[in-house]
Amino acid sequence: MADAKELMGRYCDGDASAFRELYALVAPRLLGYLVKMARHRAVAEDLLQQTFMKVHRARSAYVRGADPVPWIYSIAHRTFLDEARRQQRAVVRVGEGDELPEQQADLHGEAADRRDEPRADPELVKATLDALAELPDQQREAVVLTKLDGKSVAEAAEIAGTTVGAMKVRAHRGYEALRKLLGRRAPDPAKATGGSK
Amino acid sequence: MSELDLPAMPPENAPPLSAAMEAELGKLAPVRTRRPLYQLAVLAGVSLIYGASLLVFLTMREDLEDLPMFWLAAVAIGWLFGFLVPCYFALVPREGTMTPRLRLAAAAVVVASIGFVTLGLLIHPMSPTLSTTYGWERFGRGHTCLEIGLASALVPVVVGALFLRGALPVGSRWVAAALGAGGGCLGGLVLHLHCSVADGMHVGLVHGGVVVLSALLSAAIVPRATDR
Repeated sequence: MADAKELMGRYCDGDASAFRELYALVAPRLLGYLVKMARHRAVAEDLLQQTFMKVHRARSAYVRGADPVPWIYSIAHRTFLDEARRQQRAVVRVGEGDELPEQQADLHGEAADRRDEPRADPELVKATLDALAELPDQQREAVVLTKLDGKSVAEAAEIAGTTVGAMKVRAHRGYEALRKLLGRRAPDPAKATGGSK
Repeated sequence: MSELDLPAMPPENAPPLSAAMEAELGKLAPVRTRRPLYQLAVLAGVSLIYGASLLVFLTMREDLEDLPMFWLAAVAIGWLFGFLVPCYFALVPREGTMTPRLRLAAAAVVVASIGFVTLGLLIHPMSPTLSTTYGWERFGRGHTCLEIGLASALVPVVVGALFLRGALPVGSRWVAAALGAGGGCLGGLVLHLHCSVADGMHVGLVHGGVVVLSALLSAAIVPRATDR
């Protein structure tokens, strides 16, 4: 599969199939990021569509040869913040019984390129998502980007529009808070699987 | 810090594209993408022509002949750098990236704002016969210079904002402030060559103040224009 730079370049040249390939390449991870931020699958999907519509409208701002992925993440980040402000609450919380089964199932949905990856413990995933939801927006974003999505601190800072130093502080504080929250919940260590970071 | 056992969360299955997006793709046309260095060159060229036109309209300062040429040239070059450097950081991203250099843009705003106010307060040679002094008593008369400076800043800020439309999902305030500081420095350059009021209060707080005010105004207004 072509890389994001090449696809973005072809898309700006008017190739619609390149946009579809770019969407297939970026959307699964971006949706994962938005689900972790918004805590609601339907909201995250809506934010994803809004993000790609904004990318489409702003495609003339693309600089050829540049990696468009951090820019697309930045647009998603901004779209999430705008939506959160619009609704006057930072996190859309899941009500009792509301949407939770769908969300849990979706957390283990398989993207085409990730079918061989080990599945995470559902309880640990739920505990982590619940704990993430209790973090302030900035700390949650820092933890999601650097600890769960595997971005470097520099990439995360670029996405959030802040300095590397500030991102390090946010990630550290968020990680510490998450550690306390998860420690309080004390999930069964025997069930813990997957990416320790 | 002990390691936390965070679960691996695989990517989600993305939904199909929305109908609105499909409709947009159906009429997809090639677009001209952003060329940062070319945009910087256009911004600099247009702004300098505009600044020179203002000077022709306003006339050069009356005490020009009596002032040290070295000081005149050095300060003019300083203002010119003050115009170009923040605009460069605002418009030209690092190689391989799209987002502007926020940290350097912010540093350029702070250095230009503090630097030109301080420089004006401390170093302000004057001609004993041709220069004018306002001092604190007539400090308020400096509003004309403030207006000229801000009018000079208008073109680089507007041109820069047009170039950056859609490019700044985050960090737009510092980038806008950098454009404003750059524009303010162009205003400072115009004032340096036009205004013969040579006391430190006026040169520092009014001419230098144009940079600060322009940066603040730009940071407040431009993000609305660049965000779409």
